[in-house]
Amino acid sequence: MLVDAFLELLNLWVLVAALVGIVAGIIIGAIPGLGPTMAIALLIPVTFSMEPIPAIILLLGVYQGAIFGGSISAVLLNVPGTPSSAATAIDGFAMARRGEGGRALRFALYASVFGNIFSCLVLMALAEPLARFALDFGPAEMAMLMLFALLVIVLFGGGSRLDALIMVLVGACAGIVGLDPISGTPRFTFGSFAFENGFQLIPVLIGLFAMSEVLLQAFDREPLVGDAEVPPLKSSVVRFVELWRMRVTLLLSSLIGTFVGILPGIGSTVPAFMSYNLARSRSADAAQFGKGAPEGVAAPEAANNAVTGGALVPTLALGIPGDAVTAVILGAFMLHGLAPGPFLFRDHGLEVYAIFEALLLSSIPTVILGLLFFRVAIHVTRIQPRHLLPAITILAIFGAFSVNNSLFDVWVMLGAGVLGFLFRRAGFPLPPLLIGLILGAPFEQSLRQALLTSGGGYGIFVGSPITIGLVALIGLSLAISLTLSLRKPRT
Amino acid sequence: MSSRTGGGFARPGFRLLTTGLMLAAALGAIAVLDQQIEIFGFGDSGPDARSFPRMALWLLAAVLALRLILGLRQADAPLGRPVRLGRVLAVAAATALALWLMPRAGFFVGAAGAGIVVALVLGEKRLPALILPFFIAAIVAYGGRHGLNIPLP
Repeated sequence: MLVDAFLELLNLWVLVAALVGIVAGIIIGAIPGLGPTMAIALLIPVTFSMEPIPAIILLLGVYQGAIFGGSISAVLLNVPGTPSSAATAIDGFAMARRGEGGRALRFALYASVFGNIFSCLVLMALAEPLARFALDFGPAEMAMLMLFALLVIVLFGGGSRLDALIMVLVGACAGIVGLDPISGTPRFTFGSFAFENGFQLIPVLIGLFAMSEVLLQAFDREPLVGDAEVPPLKSSVVRFVELWRMRVTLLLSSLIGTFVGILPGIGSTVPAFMSYNLARSRSADAAQFGKGAPEGVAAPEAANNAVTGGALVPTLALGIPGDAVTAVILGAFMLHGLAPGPFLFRDHGLEVYAIFEALLLSSIPTVILGLLFFRVAIHVTRIQPRHLLPAITILAIFGAFSVNNSLFDVWVMLGAGVLGFLFRRAGFPLPPLLIGLILGAPFEQSLRQALLTSGGGYGIFVGSPITIGLVALIGLSLAISLTLSLRKPRT
Repeated sequence: MSSRTGGGFARPGFRLLTTGLMLAAALGAIAVLDQQIEIFGFGDSGPDARSFPRMALWLLAAVLALRLILGLRQADAPLGRPVRLGRVLAVAAATALALWLMPRAGFFVGAAGAGIVVALVLGEKRLPALILPFFIAAIVAYGGRHGLNIPLP
């Protein structure tokens, strides 16, 4: 299988897709405010006419490039391109101010690649066995698994649990619109045929992440980056021995990123700060952290890149996205006929392994292109919103239309954009909404199928070792969350 | 955002507005639920097509009501000057107008128009920069139609 999958990669278009994706990702990621989620959502329509393997590789290349691109503005301007780069900015910007910006970016790049390789290996080791195990799941097991995933997002997603619960429920309620999954009865369609298909994922994503950004910038009308001077970039090198000295930090940070990534809804910001704090607590020279310690750059970068592979484990094996970006990638897989879930590896194993191998191998062009393009990307951080956002508006309209060639989807995108603006201004988190939208309908379907099977008896949810295990996990999560809340010092 | 205000109620802001709107929508959906979801009974036991929506909507209304009560005494994101909200409305209205126009005037005209309005709202005054959305819309329309075979309006 691995050899056959590798042979699938020996195609010029695959190489072109990977290179274009990484370069586009580095440039887009370097622009503050344009994260990988928006970039991938806007680029999905471009992949419609492509074969599934190069299409997904292009989008994953954008993701990889954007995570590194986010560290460019974080290190050189103290303006994180993505929220997860905020931890990188602490020591990266301190290094840049003393003229070591180039070194800081090299540490960030090598650590990113290390985190990516580590999480890809975990992904390749875990995803298929997990999918094979999930083949034994019936509706009751699937319902409990999705309940567990939704609960994890609410309890451990960071921020207010009440807000996360509201967003999960908003997503689940939005998923109700359309035809009932069991009886086919129209629900909240208001007599319109267009509503019968429900809200499509990609237009909602484009609205929530791209259009809402346009509306937010119209509200704030502030430059993405101020007039701060870019510190001079001197020629520099990072020797292998310097990376070898921080091998334990890189390994622990990658472990944290991968395993936090597997948990749904937490994203890459939390593991980046967790790794930064762990690296500082383990360091013999902890006082140097915050003043320009290379390990302070490497630790969060390894962690936030490792999240990709980790988040793809439940996304591909179970159809449960780990964060907003993997929710978008899940949408891309579905559009290309590769429906994530337990059957993905059985039905499309070759394509999936080719994508895994490409993700692993793309570390090489990421290093080369990262070193080549970070000087170019500095200029990109200076782009003003008024130059960029009209193009994003046009691409958002085009992207939403092209999913089903329907203007109804563009109206949905605009509605999602307005709601996204209100939610973001009000401080409500968007990833739980997205995951609620994706999991709401299958959760209801599994729940009702299980209850139909049992004749309405709730005992089915504790009727097998798997469901008992999942109920125990749910109980454990609630207990951990409660304990953490009680221990947290009140201010 | 979550910090408490002194003693009285907080000044209403985006959080209160959004929570209030969502609560109104949830209650509205509950009110029309029976009308919007017809049930055809086949004698099955267990939940029907209305059960999950009813449960999810009531739960949502309850947590929103709780958020509203808790939010009354917490500092809120200010709504800001009317001109700022006016800019948001202008962008949303221009995009809506573009969508309404698209079946009649085509994708290119609608998208270019929306792009130019966005540039103007964001403070662009220079003519070359205002023409930029025009070229972007042309490239996207041409590429979409001929490169990706998408039947744009």
